[in-house]
Amino acid sequence: MTMSSTLNIQNLTVSLRSGLPLLRQVNLTLEPGEVRALVGESGAGKSMIGKAVLGTLPPATRVTRGQIFLRGQALDHLNAAQRRHCVAQSAALIPQDPLTALNPVRRIAPQITDPLTRIHGWSAERAQTRALELLDRVEIRDPARVMRSYPHELSGGMRQRILIAAAFAPSPPLIVADEPTTALDVTVQKQILKLIRELQKEVGTAVLFVTHDMGVVAKISQKVSVLFQGRVMEDSTTEAIFSNPTHPYTRALIAATPSYADPARSFSPVPPELIAQMKSKIAQEEIL
Amino acid sequence: MAAPLICPQTAPAPALFSVRGLRLSFPDTAHKPLFAPAPRIEVLKGLDLDLPRGQITGIVGESGSGKSTLGRVLVRLLRPDAGQVLLNGQDIATLDEAALRPLRRNLQMIFQDPMSSLNPRHKIWRIVAAPLARYANDTSTRNASAARRDQALRALERVGLDPSFGERYPHELSGGQRQRVGIARAIALEPEFILADEIVSGLDVSSQAQVLSLLKSLAQEMNLTIAFISHDLSVIRHLCDNVIVLNRGEILENGPVEQVFAAPQSDITRLLLDAIPLPELDDKWFD
Repeated sequence: MTMSSTLNIQNLTVSLRSGLPLLRQVNLTLEPGEVRALVGESGAGKSMIGKAVLGTLPPATRVTRGQIFLRGQALDHLNAAQRRHCVAQSAALIPQDPLTALNPVRRIAPQITDPLTRIHGWSAERAQTRALELLDRVEIRDPARVMRSYPHELSGGMRQRILIAAAFAPSPPLIVADEPTTALDVTVQKQILKLIRELQKEVGTAVLFVTHDMGVVAKISQKVSVLFQGRVMEDSTTEAIFSNPTHPYTRALIAATPSYADPARSFSPVPPELIAQMKSKIAQEEIL
Repeated sequence: MAAPLICPQTAPAPALFSVRGLRLSFPDTAHKPLFAPAPRIEVLKGLDLDLPRGQITGIVGESGSGKSTLGRVLVRLLRPDAGQVLLNGQDIATLDEAALRPLRRNLQMIFQDPMSSLNPRHKIWRIVAAPLARYANDTSTRNASAARRDQALRALERVGLDPSFGERYPHELSGGQRQRVGIARAIALEPEFILADEIVSGLDVSSQAQVLSLLKSLAQEMNLTIAFISHDLSVIRHLCDNVIVLNRGEILENGPVEQVFAAPQSDITRLLLDAIPLPELDDKWFD
């Protein structure tokens, strides 16, 4: 581990109270300015990793093993208030559903500027200027009017852009993007991915990008962690994953993704035999 | 006079649906003057299209292009302002609810979000049996109810779910399994037509592949005509026989998928194709 890593997760195990593990000894690092995709099927634990970092794990779960270092700081050495402060200073979230993430009875302006003034201690004017600047940057026409709007007055794509602007406004070292484009249609998705990529480069933010879409992985990330039942099956560069995937599960996920450019290739679900094989392997390792 | 010579190979399949001059508008309540009727927003601007019997037709377009509205007109959840909707030659565009009722069992739907379209308090078999009960002649006797349960379990088997799933509740199922239940409910009445509106958008890739291959094989077995609404042209390329591209309530392209994908005629189609992230490395995708 290098001290310069933005995020370093070591042996992280998160379990339900019943003892059922949701994450199994997850290791990953995220260097400054890097985008790492967390990919897998529903229930693989990809969102859980982001939640463990941000400290928003569901109440029924707990971290049973392992450590998370955020910019070299071991989070489990901190008390709850210190931890919250440390995470809020360094990290931001782009959530999947922009309608539930925005408060429906508040105007947009305070929802962007509150974190800037309260957590980062900016003046109201500086926060206001930065918010307008970012809204303009995410190609929202008439940012001043949008700042005065309520969430229900805006389209889904606009709301998602506002959340991207809010996440990038304090130039945080880390952003967790939890399926930020799953709810959008393809043309809006492309705009949003482009924005995340450009802002991430400008600001130098590292992004943990949760998705189940191997197409999105190929376009946005430099590194990939492939997850199955809470375990990292393959951790590699995006280039290696697509040019030479080593794990059969990674190959199966790529094969399950339809491609208009390659209609002859019949896309197929992950074979049940492979799933059974991986499950029994995980069970064996658990016993040892 | 000699009978016209029709070569069976080249004769076009007779259409289940023929739509001519379809127009639909909604009132724009946001801009309603205080004492005057609200202005109308035209959503479908005179559409002509055919859905060939026994084939899957993809309907694709951006948000707001009118694709879901078109689907809702086909199953007559919406009544068009003008134009014809011919189902087996009968115009259903202006039929009232009583006249539509016997036709409705032939027009089934699968919804986008199975969690909100399956009653969370009902067991799976009861959800699948609901349309059977709706169109049953005999709704009272215990025998009839048991027969419907068996029929529901058979529909579950057809979508690859073990009959033991019948006793479960929707929250006990995965997203892909729930969508199979939605399909089972749609095929339970053995309809001619199914409207599938964005049915795989919420699923991960592997469940998506499962649901799509299931739909394709059921369509062949049951000779179903399917309108498959999606914004993902990759999915449409794999599943559908024909594709209709909509933009702002107008048809931009309409034809067999091979033809439309090989030589897209409109910029919007090319835009939709370029926006799909393919699972391969491409540095220039964002440019």
